[in-house]
Amino acid sequence: MAARLSGGGGFVTYLLAAAVLIFVLAPLVVVVAVSFSTTPLATFPPVGFTTSWYEGVLASDDFQSAFIVSVTLALSATVASFVLGVPAAYVLNRWNLPGSRAIETLLLSPFILPILITGLALLQFMALMKVRDAALGLFIGHVLVTLPYLVRTVTASLKQVDRSLEEAALTLGAPPWKVFTKVTVPQIVPGIAAGCLFCFMVSFDEFPLSFWLSNAETMPLPIFLQNSMTKIFDPSIAAISSLMILTAAVAVIGLEKLVGLRRAMSV
Amino acid sequence: MTSSALEQGEAMAKKGVLPRLAVGAALLLPALVFVIVFLVLPSLILLGYSVLTQSQGGDISLPLTLGSYERLIFSATYRRVVLLTLRVALLTSLLTALLAYPAAMVIAYGKPVFSRITMILVVAPLVVSVIVRTYGWQLMLSNSPTGVLNWMLHALGTGPTPVRVLYTEWATVIASVHVFLPLMVLPLSASLGRINPSLNEAARILGAPAWRAFLRVTLPLSLPGLVAGVTIVFSLTAGSYVTPQMLGGTRGLMLGVLLEQQINTSFDWPMAAAIATVMVVIALAANVGVGWLAERHALAHTQRSGAR
Repeated sequence: MAARLSGGGGFVTYLLAAAVLIFVLAPLVVVVAVSFSTTPLATFPPVGFTTSWYEGVLASDDFQSAFIVSVTLALSATVASFVLGVPAAYVLNRWNLPGSRAIETLLLSPFILPILITGLALLQFMALMKVRDAALGLFIGHVLVTLPYLVRTVTASLKQVDRSLEEAALTLGAPPWKVFTKVTVPQIVPGIAAGCLFCFMVSFDEFPLSFWLSNAETMPLPIFLQNSMTKIFDPSIAAISSLMILTAAVAVIGLEKLVGLRRAMSV
Repeated sequence: MTSSALEQGEAMAKKGVLPRLAVGAALLLPALVFVIVFLVLPSLILLGYSVLTQSQGGDISLPLTLGSYERLIFSATYRRVVLLTLRVALLTSLLTALLAYPAAMVIAYGKPVFSRITMILVVAPLVVSVIVRTYGWQLMLSNSPTGVLNWMLHALGTGPTPVRVLYTEWATVIASVHVFLPLMVLPLSASLGRINPSLNEAARILGAPAWRAFLRVTLPLSLPGLVAGVTIVFSLTAGSYVTPQMLGGTRGLMLGVLLEQQINTSFDWPMAAAIATVMVVIALAANVGVGWLAERHALAHTQRSGAR
C-alpha cells in the first residue's frame, strides 16, 4: 500500500506520533538510566555509571528464587493453556457445534472480569476447598489469565488458514485427523508459537492475581519487586525493573520475528 | 438401489455425527470445565458474599442483607470512591484515544519503516510488567525536585516550587494512559487500515483541507476501532489496582484499592464482595453498553443517510 501521509498534514501527524512515542518510552528509559546511577537513592538525573546494583541484585538469593518461581510458573501456565486452549479453539472455529459462540465468550471472559477480582475469588475458593498450596493456586490462576490469550491467537490464526486447502485434502480422501496434522497445523504453527510466547510474558508480568495467591515461600518476580519497593529506595529496584524490561524486549523481538507483531496481536 | 444408497448415506451420516459430537465435546470440555470451576463458580460465590452478614468473630453467614450496598451508595466516602473511579476511567479513555490517533495513523498510513517502528515501540511496553511501568512513573512524577518532571520544569526555569502530581488522581490518569495506550492503538490502526483510501482522496480532490478530510471522512469511519479501544481502556482502568495503589495515594483512592483495603485492613468480606460486584457491573456495562450505543448510533446514521 502506498504511503498516504504526505504534505503538511502528514508532517504534523508524524510529529505528533513522535511525541506520543517519547511519552511511551520516557518512563522506561528513565528506569534504565537510574539503574546505572551511583547515587544512594533512585533519583533523577542519574550520576556517574556503575553496574554494582545489577551485581547486587543478581547475587541475591531472594531475587534468584523469585526469578525461578516466575519462569517455572510462566512455563507451566503456558503449557497448560496450550493443552486446554488449542483443541478448544480448533473445535470452536471448525466444527459447528451448538452454543459455540456462548462457549467462546465464556472462555474469553477472564478478559472482561477485573483480574483483581478473579484472584480474590480464586483465593477464597481455595480456602473453602481447604487447599493451602500457594503454588497450586498461582498455577490455576495464571492458566485462567493466559488461556484467553491463547484461544484468541489460535482463533485468529485459524481464520487465516486457507480453507480450500483443507477441503481439497478432504475431497482427495484424506481422513480428517490427517488433514488437521498435515494441512492445518503447518499453517497455524507460527501463530500458536506467538500465542505461547505472549502467554509466557503475560504470566511473567502478572501482578494483581499473584498478589492474592502468593506467599513468602512462593513469590513471583513482580510481587518480589513490589515488596522490595516498600523497603528499599536505592537504584537496585531500577536494576530489577531494567532486567524485566530486557526480558520484554527479547520477547517483542521474538514475536516480531515469529509472525510479525501485527498478527501476534491478532488485529 | 438409489433409495438404499440414500439410506446408507443417511446411516453413515448419523454414525459419523454422533462420534463427531463426542470428540468435539472431549476436546472442548477440559477448557470449559476449567473456566467454570475456577472462574465462574468462585466469582459467583464471591459475589454472593456481598449479601451475607459477617459476625463479630468473622463468620460469614445468613441472614441476607443489602447493608454493604447501602453503605457503598449512601456513605459519602464510598460514593466518592465510586465516582472517582468512573471519572479516572473516563478521563483515561478520552486522553488515550487522543494520543492513540497520531500513532495509529502512522501505523496504518505511514511509510513502511515508520509504520513498523511505531508499531514495535507502541506495543513493546505491553509486555513490560505494570509494576515496572508504574515504578517508572513514580520516578517521572515524584513530588521532590529529583522527579523527572520537576527536574525538567526547573531546567526550563519555572521557579523553585515543585509541582505535586504524584499521589493524586492525575498521576493515576497519566500512568493509566501509558499502560493502556497499546490496547487503544491496536484496534484503531486496524480500523483505519480498513478504510477505503479513495474516500479520503475524493474529499481532498474536492477541495477539503487535510484536517477537514480527517474530521469528516477518516474519523467517522474509524469509529468501530475507537469504540473497541474505549471499551477496553475504560473497563481495565475502572478495574485496575496497581496504578492507583502506587500513584494515586489516599486522594486518588479507587475501587480496586478500596477492595484490597477491605480484605487486608478491615477484614470486611461482605463489603469487599459488594465492591467487587460494583466493579464487575462497571466492566460488564462498559463492554455491553458501549457496543450497544455504537450499534444504535450506526443504525441512526444509516437511517438518516437513507432518508436523504
